[in-house]
Amino acid sequence: MIVCIAVVGHQNNPLYLQSFTEADDALKLHHIVHCSLDVIDERVNNPKKTGPTLNETFLGLLYPTENYKVYGYLTNTKVKFILVTTDLDVRDADVRNFFRRFHSAYVDAVSNPFHVPGKKITSRTFAERVSTIVKSFGLSTAV
Amino acid sequence: MVGREVSESCVDSMIIEMVSSYCDRFCSAKPELAARRIEAIGYQVGLQLSERYTMERPRFSDHLEAIKFICKDFWSELFKKQIDNLKTNHRGTFVLQDNRFRWLTRMSIDPSETNANTSDDPSVATTESKSAQSASMHLYFPCGIIRGALTNLGIPCAVSADMSNLPACSFVVRIKA
Amino acid sequence: MAPLAPRTGDAVFANVERVNAELFTLTYGAIVRQLLTDLEEVEEVNKQLDQMGYNIGIRLIDEFLAKSNVSRCVDFKETADVIAKVGLKMFLGVTASVTNWDVDGTSCSLVLEDNPLVDFVELPDTCQGLYYCNILSGVIRGALEMVSMKTEVTWVRDMLRGDDAYELRLKLLKQVPEEYPYKDDE
Repeated sequence: MIVCIAVVGHQNNPLYLQSFTEADDALKLHHIVHCSLDVIDERVNNPKKTGPTLNETFLGLLYPTENYKVYGYLTNTKVKFILVTTDLDVRDADVRNFFRRFHSAYVDAVSNPFHVPGKKITSRTFAERVSTIVKSFGLSTAV
Repeated sequence: MVGREVSESCVDSMIIEMVSSYCDRFCSAKPELAARRIEAIGYQVGLQLSERYTMERPRFSDHLEAIKFICKDFWSELFKKQIDNLKTNHRGTFVLQDNRFRWLTRMSIDPSETNANTSDDPSVATTESKSAQSASMHLYFPCGIIRGALTNLGIPCAVSADMSNLPACSFVVRIKA
Repeated sequence: MAPLAPRTGDAVFANVERVNAELFTLTYGAIVRQLLTDLEEVEEVNKQLDQMGYNIGIRLIDEFLAKSNVSRCVDFKETADVIAKVGLKMFLGVTASVTNWDVDGTSCSLVLEDNPLVDFVELPDTCQGLYYCNILSGVIRGALEMVSMKTEVTWVRDMLRGDDAYELRLKLLKQVPEEYPYKDDE
């Protein structure tokens, strides 16, 4: 289950953060997201470690904690997406598919002429789309 | 919404009207202010387009790669052709030349407008300078688009246009250190 | 007799130069946002968008007449149909349905399910009085004036304001055949 999804701007300013669980407290999830930013910076600044996936937007598993797996994605416009899940057996393809759909929702949200770049995303349409994408995580694997 | 199209004349006439509204009505007698506003509109468009057009591609590893993206894919999306010539001084200045810039060939030489403007002084020189003036006002919009796109890709810069060889047009990108 | 007006604009739209709508949509959005910043009053923005549309309409009508094979329409009813099925299609790639005619055939509604101006748009609470698509009503008013129909075009429904469709009310005020149309924008 996805417990949290975050969008973070190029100056590490939070643009969107949504948790999907009652069980974990917000502070803990914030902390995880925060820590993952450092991991992303580390990955991007030392690209050798990632080998063939150099410059790919999908950054893969950032780090596992006891209860979570944290995945990252970095757009060409330096915006970070972070996915926190409690699933232990996660297929790479599912995570990639998730980020692809999420990215598309994000791009539409910032295409709203009233969205102010660098400010939080307040769009209701975006929140609904994200909720749909989160719910269908891991379900569309038949293809 | 995917693949939605509109007629090109919709885009053309909207841009023409935007430019003339700012020059003649909202900021008349203040051409610098009009220019800034037109550039700002382009900037927002460039910012948003760069998000959309880079969606399915790996991140750029350096400035040159991002500039090449603007010259090829980005330009093709907007104008159905690529930039014809890219030059650089290797010190942060890039010159993007379009030999037949679509928005100038389709828009700027509007004889009716030019005639109207020069009815009191029908000298050829005035006609040419008026038309050049209106063309240069139009170019603030694509300059803003380029600056918005590059800035959003992590490359803060200043962009100006040179149209001394019409209908060719050069966009000069100066990257800020 | 004038040739029959085409019943759809599909063929015309297929033949005009087309570009992807994103540039159009985003440019319009950026214009609206900049106008809101510069003019401050939402009412004034509505007025200016309508004026911009009017100026566009009086120019686009020539291209429309040249490319659509539509000659003079017999009456206002036919005109409304041509706008809905051919005009909107030729420029924006969408069509509208024509409904709610009044008894004397001088006012009707154009109903659009969607249009490329509003893709991605969500109005903030501070802009509730904004008629976001007001440029469109101006275009129609301007174009009709060039074919000697003085009209009033207003928004009745707007999905950005929570309605279930976009509805434009067209009201024919005066039809002046063969009279040279003057601009009234000053």
